[in-house]
Amino acid sequence: MTLFSAPFVLLSVMLPLASMVLSCRTEWQRGYRYCLPLLPLPALLLGVAVEPGWWLELPGLLIGGLWGADDLRRAFLVLTAMLWLIGGVFAIGYLKDHHLRRFCVFWSLTLAGNLGLIISLDIASFYSFFALMTFAGYGLVVHEGTDEANRAGRVYLGMAVVGEMAILSGLLMAAQLAGSGLLANLPAAIAGADRQWLIMLLLLAGFGVKAGLPLLHFWLPLAHPVAPTPASAVLSGAMIKAGLLGWLVTLPFGEVSLPGWGNALVILGAVGSLGGALLGVRQQRPKAVLAYSSISQMGLMTLMVGAALANADYAGPLFAVMALYVLHHGLAKGSLFLSTAMALPTSRGGQWLLWLLIALPGLSLAGLPFTSGAASKLAMKELLKPDSFGFAMAPYLPTLMSAGAVATMLLVWRFLWVQRAVAGVGSNPAFMWLGWGLATASSLILFWWLPWPEAVPEKAWLSAMVYEAWSLFWPMLLATVIAALAWRSVKQR
Amino acid sequence: MTLSVLMPVFALMTSLLASVILFALPEKGYRLRTIINLAAAILKIALVGVMIWGVAHGREYEAAFTMVPGVEFVLRADALSMLFAGLSALLWLLTTIYAVGYLEDSPNRSRFFGFFSLCVASTMGIALAGNLFTFFLFYEMLTLSTYPLVVHRGTTKALRAGRNYIIYTLTGGAVLLFAIAWLHGLVGDLRFQEGGYFSDVDPSLNGPLTIIFVLMMVGLGVKAALVPFHGWLPQAMVAPAPVSALLHAVAVVKAGAFGIIRVVFEIYGLEAAEAMGLLAGLSVVAALTIIYGSTRALYQVDLKRRLAFSTVSQVSYIVLGLCLFGPLGVIGGLVHLVHQGIMKITLFFCAGNYAETLGVHRIDELDGAGKRMPGTSVAFTLGAFGMIGAPPLAGFITKWTMGAGALEVGMDWVVAVLVISSLLNAAYFLPILHRLWFAEQCEPWPHERRWGRLETSAWLLWPPLITATLMVLAGLLANVPFSPLSWAELIVLREVAL
Repeated sequence: MTLFSAPFVLLSVMLPLASMVLSCRTEWQRGYRYCLPLLPLPALLLGVAVEPGWWLELPGLLIGGLWGADDLRRAFLVLTAMLWLIGGVFAIGYLKDHHLRRFCVFWSLTLAGNLGLIISLDIASFYSFFALMTFAGYGLVVHEGTDEANRAGRVYLGMAVVGEMAILSGLLMAAQLAGSGLLANLPAAIAGADRQWLIMLLLLAGFGVKAGLPLLHFWLPLAHPVAPTPASAVLSGAMIKAGLLGWLVTLPFGEVSLPGWGNALVILGAVGSLGGALLGVRQQRPKAVLAYSSISQMGLMTLMVGAALANADYAGPLFAVMALYVLHHGLAKGSLFLSTAMALPTSRGGQWLLWLLIALPGLSLAGLPFTSGAASKLAMKELLKPDSFGFAMAPYLPTLMSAGAVATMLLVWRFLWVQRAVAGVGSNPAFMWLGWGLATASSLILFWWLPWPEAVPEKAWLSAMVYEAWSLFWPMLLATVIAALAWRSVKQR
Repeated sequence: MTLSVLMPVFALMTSLLASVILFALPEKGYRLRTIINLAAAILKIALVGVMIWGVAHGREYEAAFTMVPGVEFVLRADALSMLFAGLSALLWLLTTIYAVGYLEDSPNRSRFFGFFSLCVASTMGIALAGNLFTFFLFYEMLTLSTYPLVVHRGTTKALRAGRNYIIYTLTGGAVLLFAIAWLHGLVGDLRFQEGGYFSDVDPSLNGPLTIIFVLMMVGLGVKAALVPFHGWLPQAMVAPAPVSALLHAVAVVKAGAFGIIRVVFEIYGLEAAEAMGLLAGLSVVAALTIIYGSTRALYQVDLKRRLAFSTVSQVSYIVLGLCLFGPLGVIGGLVHLVHQGIMKITLFFCAGNYAETLGVHRIDELDGAGKRMPGTSVAFTLGAFGMIGAPPLAGFITKWTMGAGALEVGMDWVVAVLVISSLLNAAYFLPILHRLWFAEQCEPWPHERRWGRLETSAWLLWPPLITATLMVLAGLLANVPFSPLSWAELIVLREVAL
């Protein structure tokens, strides 16, 4: 921790909070809107410029505060800051004057929570920021004020509060065993706990609400689509990852191998990944399809979490891959959500170009070679070899991953299909172009220059993709054939 | 007479003297009354502040004289009394400011402020009382000085609530007196002493001591609103808002809770009470009260009534904390004495503001109030989240410490009680917050008043903003010296032999 970066650490959280001063007067609210993209800047600088391994002690805070970042947190921090920045740019063009001030306040609060939880190393700070993000997020979900939004908000809040309570009980029990207020001491304490199953269950379920774990996901397809589009993008791209981070920093990865939990999570992940797609293809609205796609993608990440729990030796490398996957999915999903609000240009060539650029992040999710998705998928495949894992579900891992790719591709087709039906022709405000452009460029190009975790396997690099092209390609092809058949059958009816 | 003797006497006399002067003032002396009120409150904060500093640095303040042989009058400042004295001195100032704004132009202000000061003097006496007898004296004085405040409006409803209040509290007082007298006969005059007296008591006394304990808990439980002695509290909310605020945050319910703390820690002793099996029973009553209060709060449509049932629930956190019989649990209970005070007073100030400014009393009339009264609504929101126990606010510190304390001593069911209570709190506070911020106003406010540029009178706006800020700081900076949490840790270190 150098003298230079300490202010950045505090600013990352304080700037969004301090910006709420702008809500004091009605005349300032238009100015406030232009500040939104600036709020995550210190955090972005912190993530990009400062080498991980730093920490900052805040002894007076809560019951003793400690903030810092490691490789894993850095990836989350970079993604989160980038996505909120992009969302902020988009929001300038997207937002109407209706309750503008209120939206900006909740945006800032949620942002502060989302960034803060990533750099918290002590339990109380982490839980505080997590709760801040959860409760302030309600303001984003119900912003439109429609009956549908209020209903979604109620489900969101109800499940979130129950989740918070599960997290609180789990953290309390783990902290009591660890005799410490630091997150870093929890995994070892849980690994040796008598009532390990209860603590694990509470934490898995509590964070699982945020991560859209099957059966705890009900709020997600309701809440993500009804929020204003920039909020949907950060909800589905960044905030959903907070649940995953919660798992990664508390559960006993690398301490003990827990094949039972591994099996359970792999099954849940598979259910999420395939079930999410199954429900998603039946949706009529683009944002709902995307929300289910998020559940499906989180299912794949749950699968990795399960594998990492099942074999302690692989936890470290899998963390790196998960970090990479988080970066990839966050940016791609952000771009897809923003594209739902874009109107098509009048010229035919322009329309084609736009459709291509809308489709590419989607294809990236499905693992199109030379995209961020291919890199993440290859890295994942490289590690999840059945021979390395001894648990019951291990032999099915490659099949599940391929099935996941098929499911993802199907969802992408479905998304394009319904988006085509609703997309209007017209002009977009410049800031919407800019925001969407940034998101798409980040997902397709900038991704390769972002600070990847060091432990990512070699296979992920571009050159290796040439040899793996077919293994990536056939699930997409299969899904395309299915989609085409489905389209024909609908058309004939 | 040295300063160490005079300090506690001065602290008591400031409000007592103020009360006498205020009674004598003519009704019209608005400015003079306000000046005396504020001056006395500020002076008291200074005195208590000095004592807190002194106690932290190991000074002792004590004034004692014998009233009749065998019965002493003792005023003493220890760490525990400073917890309560500090809270009441601070909140008295804020409530006075609030009351000045609230009672603008209403009749009988001399009487009101006179009794108001008397009530605070009693609270100070309860905090500083050094033995059971002195404690009882001020405990009853509190009952008598709050009655006129409850019935201040003079309406039938207020009078009925007042009658109910006085029946409950006087009966409770009588039971308490009986128990104190019995104990006095058994073992003589007992000063409050660290570790209590009964750690190695003759087993033959166990029977009477148990009965006396139960009687004392009944006597004190009436004011602390333990179920089933809570009936007066929700009715008493007909009192003017500043009175409700004080009643719910510092004066009455806290006097009961504070008495329970004194009896458990410094008469019986935590270990003895545990060994006799008294704490187990008390913890069950406290847990039931917590759940019962929250459940009833869910069904209230009147804002102040909902807050009143929430008080029933929250005050029992303090009692439950003591029963956890371990340092962390006790710290959690003690710190909640302060935390609940600043959170609940914030909420009542806000409820008063909605009533005074918009004429809103019912929860379903609050739609869109956040836009009309943002300052008040921010304070209310913070107070509500504090009550739910959301981090990083004061209520979270309580819940976290108590939860850890419960696990430490193997009373895991307490965590379940905390979780259920938090869920219920969320269920009855979050819908209000939704109405404040996200519902659109559909009907005009029932009875709106305008105060120029501000959303309401500055006298009414600042107190909740200040208490809300204090509540955030109490949570956020819990680890800083002189925070409520640090002070509770100091008390446990010094005075609770564990």
